[in-house]
Amino acid sequence: MTTTEGPRPGDREIVPPRKPPRPWWYWAVAAAVIAFTVYSGRRVGFSLTSLKDLPSNPLWEKFWPPEWDWVFANAIDPLIETFQIAILATLVGCLLALPVSFAMSRLTSHNTYTYFGSKAIMNLIRTIPDLFWAKLFVTAIGIGAFAGTLGLIIFSLSVMVKLFSETIDAADPGPLEAAEAAGGTHIASVKVGVLPEVLPNYVAYALYVFELNIRASVVLGLVGAGGVGRVLEAQRQFFQFDRIMGIVILLFVVVFTLEQISVAIRRRLV
Amino acid sequence: MIEFKNVSVTYRGGVKALKNLTVTIEDGEFVVIVGLSGAGKSTMLRAMNGLVKATEGSILVNGTEVVGAKGRRLREVRKQIGMIFQTFNLATRTTVLNNVLMGRLAHVPAWRSTLGLWPAEDKERAFLALDRVGILEKAYVRASDLSGGQQQRVGIARALAQDPAVVLADEPVAALDPVTSHQVMGDLQTINEDLGITTLVNLHFLDLARTYGRRIIGLRAGELVFDGPIEEVDDETFREIYGRAVTPDDLLHEGAEVE
Repeated sequence: MTTTEGPRPGDREIVPPRKPPRPWWYWAVAAAVIAFTVYSGRRVGFSLTSLKDLPSNPLWEKFWPPEWDWVFANAIDPLIETFQIAILATLVGCLLALPVSFAMSRLTSHNTYTYFGSKAIMNLIRTIPDLFWAKLFVTAIGIGAFAGTLGLIIFSLSVMVKLFSETIDAADPGPLEAAEAAGGTHIASVKVGVLPEVLPNYVAYALYVFELNIRASVVLGLVGAGGVGRVLEAQRQFFQFDRIMGIVILLFVVVFTLEQISVAIRRRLV
Repeated sequence: MIEFKNVSVTYRGGVKALKNLTVTIEDGEFVVIVGLSGAGKSTMLRAMNGLVKATEGSILVNGTEVVGAKGRRLREVRKQIGMIFQTFNLATRTTVLNNVLMGRLAHVPAWRSTLGLWPAEDKERAFLALDRVGILEKAYVRASDLSGGQQQRVGIARALAQDPAVVLADEPVAALDPVTSHQVMGDLQTINEDLGITTLVNLHFLDLARTYGRRIIGLRAGELVFDGPIEEVDDETFREIYGRAVTPDDLLHEGAEVE
């Protein structure tokens, strides 16, 4: 006797159940998706033929070699500014997000008014695109790093609140119940019963938001909100592609390094 | 003294968990509440500290009305009542000490506890409570690093740190093995005898109920079907409470004799 005693093909006659037919709407949905994709492609003017000249475009040669001397002399300081904008925006945005997230979670919200109120306000803030926020701040307080920082604070707040309030929703309600049963006020009970359980997630999200902010602060610079993005935009307007290349490589190294550090810390946290 | 007068609890959706319950518990009693799951044991305990809202009737805890109490008045009642939970309900990612300090929430201004600025006296009380259940040396250990039995002792210490007049234990040993179950029940018994704290325990193991209870309250489908001293309890009583014969599943010790 071998150890394999399971049924083998041909052992006996069996009648497997019939595979259920596809629902009637299956092909209808597939056709609709395809039709809409084709329509969208036409609308945005998607065409591969217009891409065929791209590789031979003389523009490419202007990217190489990067003009390192200029980059090191003129881009380092704005790059540090970008980094500072990201740090500041992450700290302030995430701190603001802490109470808002607790108000926006069903588990910890004080009552239905705080729950729906905070949700409505956050949705309003999220409706306005991040880049548009930055432009609004540039218009309101003038071109510069502070406008960019304010824009990124809004961005950090909305990302953090979204991620963190859902984590709070999923937290164990037990410790909160215990704290309230001991006669704690609502806020004190949330602090001692819920916060310790979700704090590691909070720190991990803050690091993630910081990663996003480093990238986003470059983008915001394009609209005049400070940092290395503004330098990048200025050089594009003057067609200084060798300088752009240098900045891009520098950015790549910085962003990549910071992300690796952040990922390593986050892995230890949760 | 705890007085239930015609208390009913109807949950949203219409389930009647407690029907017209009238019962009085004197100071210093050790009461075990038995009944099948869904009989209303947990609802009865939770109605006492307002975790469940009674829909009818009156519950007086040392003269204070719990039914309809809110805000500061509710917290004042809860301050006197320590609670121990089936699944411990510890904040697992923080220290044992921080969990025990939860029991001091009603004694300390909210801003202090929220900022973690616990007064030295309250920390002292937390340490004393831990010492009483024999795990003082675990004060700075993360709660999740403890065994189930130790975690439940943290739960007991948290209730003791409250300096309560009453302790409610909602199936405190359902998640524990038999040996640990007896230790935890022993702790509760000692607390009752040494400190004179009125103790109410929900149990579904009949042998445990018989070993530790001085007074037995039997609930069946939300109604009081038995209330008397342990001496009056026999197998017929349990049959009455359960609505069926007692089986080995109803006992903590498998294969224990059913009298």
